[in-house]
Amino acid sequence: MKNNLLLLFAILSLFSACIGDDFIDDEIDERLVVNNIIDSLQVGSTFLFETTFFNNVGQIEQRTINWMSTNEDVLSINENGLATALAAGNTSLIANTVLDDNSTLEVDFPLVVTEEEVVIEEPEFEERSGVIQTTTFYTLEGDFVLREETDQLVLEIAENYQASSSLPGLYIYLTNNPNTTNGALEIGRVNIFSGAHSYIIPDVDINAYSHILYFCKPFNVKVGDGEIQ
Amino acid sequence: MSHNKYLISFIFVFLFSSKIFAGGGWPQPKGHGYFKLFQWWVVADQHFTDNGKIDPNVTNGIFNTGIYGEYGFTKRITGIAYVPFYSRAYFNNLVSGTTGELIDPGEAINSFGDSKIGIKYGLTLNKPIALSATLRFGLPLGNAAGGTGGRLQTGDGEFNQLLQIDAGAGYKLGKLNAYANIYAGFNNRTNGFSDEFHYGFETGTNLFKNKLTAIVRLYGIKSLKNGTLSGEVNSTSIFANNSEHLTFSPELAFNVNKKWGFSATYATALYGRIIFANPSYSVGVFVNI
Repeated sequence: MKNNLLLLFAILSLFSACIGDDFIDDEIDERLVVNNIIDSLQVGSTFLFETTFFNNVGQIEQRTINWMSTNEDVLSINENGLATALAAGNTSLIANTVLDDNSTLEVDFPLVVTEEEVVIEEPEFEERSGVIQTTTFYTLEGDFVLREETDQLVLEIAENYQASSSLPGLYIYLTNNPNTTNGALEIGRVNIFSGAHSYIIPDVDINAYSHILYFCKPFNVKVGDGEIQ
Repeated sequence: MSHNKYLISFIFVFLFSSKIFAGGGWPQPKGHGYFKLFQWWVVADQHFTDNGKIDPNVTNGIFNTGIYGEYGFTKRITGIAYVPFYSRAYFNNLVSGTTGELIDPGEAINSFGDSKIGIKYGLTLNKPIALSATLRFGLPLGNAAGGTGGRLQTGDGEFNQLLQIDAGAGYKLGKLNAYANIYAGFNNRTNGFSDEFHYGFETGTNLFKNKLTAIVRLYGIKSLKNGTLSGEVNSTSIFANNSEHLTFSPELAFNVNKKWGFSATYATALYGRIIFANPSYSVGVFVNI
């Protein structure tokens, strides 16, 4: 009888402890980003615009981008984003792509074509910033600045930062989808729970991610985020 | 037989026929024992935060299959053992609700679980108030860092020593004989875990000519928060550091005969901090010898 009971309990345990699926709502709005916007171009010169499309879960996806100039007498642009400045004047450039639901996602920006020489400089070190906010009942708040340095980014968390020290295994990420760590860049484990501190992030473009994300690994749940403005 | 002696006799009959965890203030009589083969489990998709609110988490489960036993070495000294010989912990796959992509695969570990052994000493015998002192050792026989990144536990990885005082008494519940027990204890924990104050109350009675035993318990743990920060360890579920709870737990035991029976227990936390917020369940088959 004892053997039968042991078998019964072992079977019950095995059958009732199967790994199932938990689904998370990770859908976000698609984004189309022109990576190298300029505001002026000299007559007779060309410039290749580059784009990145982020799909509805924040992943980079190759898409057909349609380019259009609102004043083709001033500037023409082909399907690859190669613009040719034809005559002095003002125009706007529009980049769009058709989404899965047949709606159109569009980005536009103005551009001046001039007879004067235009020097397109390498952008100086950029700086972006944002506010950390909790998305749970755990304390998490503060300001941050994401600063570009040679070959690295510095994420500076401000003096007003506060985070609960109770979460087991709190980690910080850079991500294009604040609802998931899927495709996110793990910066490291959070060991400081109040006050100013910083993280060094090597070999990452400052515009590569849209959010910072705080995530509890053991509970596998998002704790908070901050949009990088 | 005086009223008090009648109640004392009832308590012994009661404890023999449908034993409760650790026996309250009453030690086992010499040469007698109680053994239960049990399965205890909790499946949790939410937890209490550090401020007592409830937040979601990926579904975790812990299943302990084991033996609980008490045996009276003398009329005052009872040995106690809680041995989950098969413990399984798991967490679910995390799947994108948008694309169906597997984001984080679930994992499971199986191992021996954290066990407890102890000695209960009867401070009073055959008195209206039964007092006992228990020294119990928590043995870290489980896995404190299983799975990828040590995210799964079947134990906390620390050796602890609990000193507990129980006081029990019989009373009348209408026409029914009933008992009540309260306890308080101090759990000295090691390896960076905070010490704890344990407390609890339970009352029970036999129904239907002793065929059914009904028990309700209210018990809790208060952390002294004198150890490592919870954020500096990976433990979750029921093994997190600085966790606290106040739990309400009814139990029904069906006594097949004077020797054998089976029981079912439900437990739900009324209050908690850094601990799963879903109910736990336990079923078992027990035997009195």
